[in-house]
Amino acid sequence: MTSSSDPEGFGPEPNVLVADEQESAPQEPNSIRRRSPAPWLLLTPAGLVILVVTVAPIIFLIFTSFTDYNQRSLFTGNFHGVGLLQYQTIFSDPDFWASVLRTLLFTATMVAGSVVVGMGVAQLLSRLGTVLKYVVTISLIFAWAMPTVASSVVWKWLFQPGYGVVNWMLTKLRIFGDLTNTDWANNTVLAYTCIWLLIVWQAVPFIALTLYAALSQLPQERLEAARIDGAGEWRAWRAVTLPFLRPTLLLVTILSVIWDFNVFNQIWLISQGGPDGTTSTLGVYAYKVAFVAFKIGQGSAISVITTILLLGLTAIYIRNLIRSGEDL
Amino acid sequence: MTTVAIQTGRPVRSASRRKRKWGTNTLAIVFSIVWLFPVYWMINTAFKPRPEVMTATPIFFPRDPTLANFNVAITQTTFLTNLKNSVIVVSGTLLFSIVLGLFAAAALSRFHFRGRRTIMVGILIVQMLPGTALLIPMFLVFNSLGMLGTYWGLMLAYVAHVLPFSIWVMRGFFITVPAEVEEAARIDGATTWQVLTKILFPLVLPGVIATSVFAFIAAWNDYLVAFTFMKDQSMYTLPVWLASFSTPQTGTDFGGQMAASVLFSLPVVVFFVLVQRKLVSGMSAGAVKG
Repeated sequence: MTSSSDPEGFGPEPNVLVADEQESAPQEPNSIRRRSPAPWLLLTPAGLVILVVTVAPIIFLIFTSFTDYNQRSLFTGNFHGVGLLQYQTIFSDPDFWASVLRTLLFTATMVAGSVVVGMGVAQLLSRLGTVLKYVVTISLIFAWAMPTVASSVVWKWLFQPGYGVVNWMLTKLRIFGDLTNTDWANNTVLAYTCIWLLIVWQAVPFIALTLYAALSQLPQERLEAARIDGAGEWRAWRAVTLPFLRPTLLLVTILSVIWDFNVFNQIWLISQGGPDGTTSTLGVYAYKVAFVAFKIGQGSAISVITTILLLGLTAIYIRNLIRSGEDL
Repeated sequence: MTTVAIQTGRPVRSASRRKRKWGTNTLAIVFSIVWLFPVYWMINTAFKPRPEVMTATPIFFPRDPTLANFNVAITQTTFLTNLKNSVIVVSGTLLFSIVLGLFAAAALSRFHFRGRRTIMVGILIVQMLPGTALLIPMFLVFNSLGMLGTYWGLMLAYVAHVLPFSIWVMRGFFITVPAEVEEAARIDGATTWQVLTKILFPLVLPGVIATSVFAFIAAWNDYLVAFTFMKDQSMYTLPVWLASFSTPQTGTDFGGQMAASVLFSLPVVVFFVLVQRKLVSGMSAGAVKG
């Protein structure tokens, strides 16, 4: 991602990808030797470890998704192949489809919220004096640095029925009535709002600071030229700033989609996917099936599907990374 | 006098500009207050004596600040045992991931060879796998090998997450070393091994340290794996301890829990501030937050 946050782009020219695949291409300056076994020796230890701890488990996961592995199998080690049964069960289960839909909806609203606010904050940062810029950056870094478990625990306290400070403030506003004893985790919309606020709170810093870094590379002459041509602030932004930020914006959005798709801790700790499973995303749903109900075969099948969906998103991400000039 | 004369040239414009400046400044202050509020509320609660924690009207500054909550968090829970577990597992993960990752990153940045691109894409894919996808098979294998609830099991699960990420980030630091440095050493007759250990590794040391910090944060913060694998309270790591925080006498005690949150977050925030700048440019490719 060097190219977007750092326009000088440290890596060699983007077309090195092409050059690398043509044997006739001139030798790259920073390659030690083309046919040396050295890189393979250096890669072997890490490669073996990755094979053991990630590739093998994924293969085993796919295998498990075709079996009836359950709680008893954990003790006896006995399980049987059941073919596609687990997948048939999932696909005919309305809970599964509800989770898929929910995951897509949650991801979309979370990403939209964090990208819009993040963009606003990036613009804000670029218009501030030194002191206030420092203050805003510090508050962003605190929100970013907080471990998700800690922030989820703090969130539960902020939204605590009876003594939570948010309930108290909302009651003081006198718009919504008396919310003092509102239990946020016990109502689908409220639980989701609470989780959404937490996710956006933690996601905005990365997005805002990355966009701000890109924004500070924007040639001011272009904005000046647009203004001289009579463009208002909004038109100048749409015609000059937005196209300049587009590549960075795209990468940040795709990354947010992948991250928000995978959110687990915050949902688990705030609502446990409840009430009645109405805030369970695919991750939470798979976890509950595999580790609460201990239908491990079925949980594996859900995880396989989740992985496939996520691989699709990752493919989009990698394609954009390559397109933006990242030297893979 | 002259300055006044110059400014009166565009009186309307400068007035509207000043108004806009006021607007952005106010917005910045409001934003900072809103964004800092959860952190402030955590710290505020942590320093309150018990009667001030749960009140009908919240108390915005502790009237009688105390360290009692921190004392409760440290002495009346399994904090020290769980801290020890976290430190052991996180250091093991770092040692593995950074050493192996350093060699792999060197291979993927300073050499051109067939298949390099495939390997890079593979690493990116591995990094983006959903949490439960590795959790289920690892749980089954460790269960049958008797490794559930052990340091080794947890460590291997973390390496799966941290090693690909470390390779990716360290590779970014290797790329910044100019080729001339390497060529000069080569002309002086240095072997590949010498170029790596005497020239490249020292040059990327700051990057290695930054990567170690990211890796530390990722492993230190994990809740999902530890919560699933470590069922015995004496084997909990700190995130699991924090999420299930309660003291035998009072059940959920928000003063104690907020003090516990402060204790748990403090090292992360300190480290994070140290490497934050590198994170903005370098982390985009790697998912740290889980």
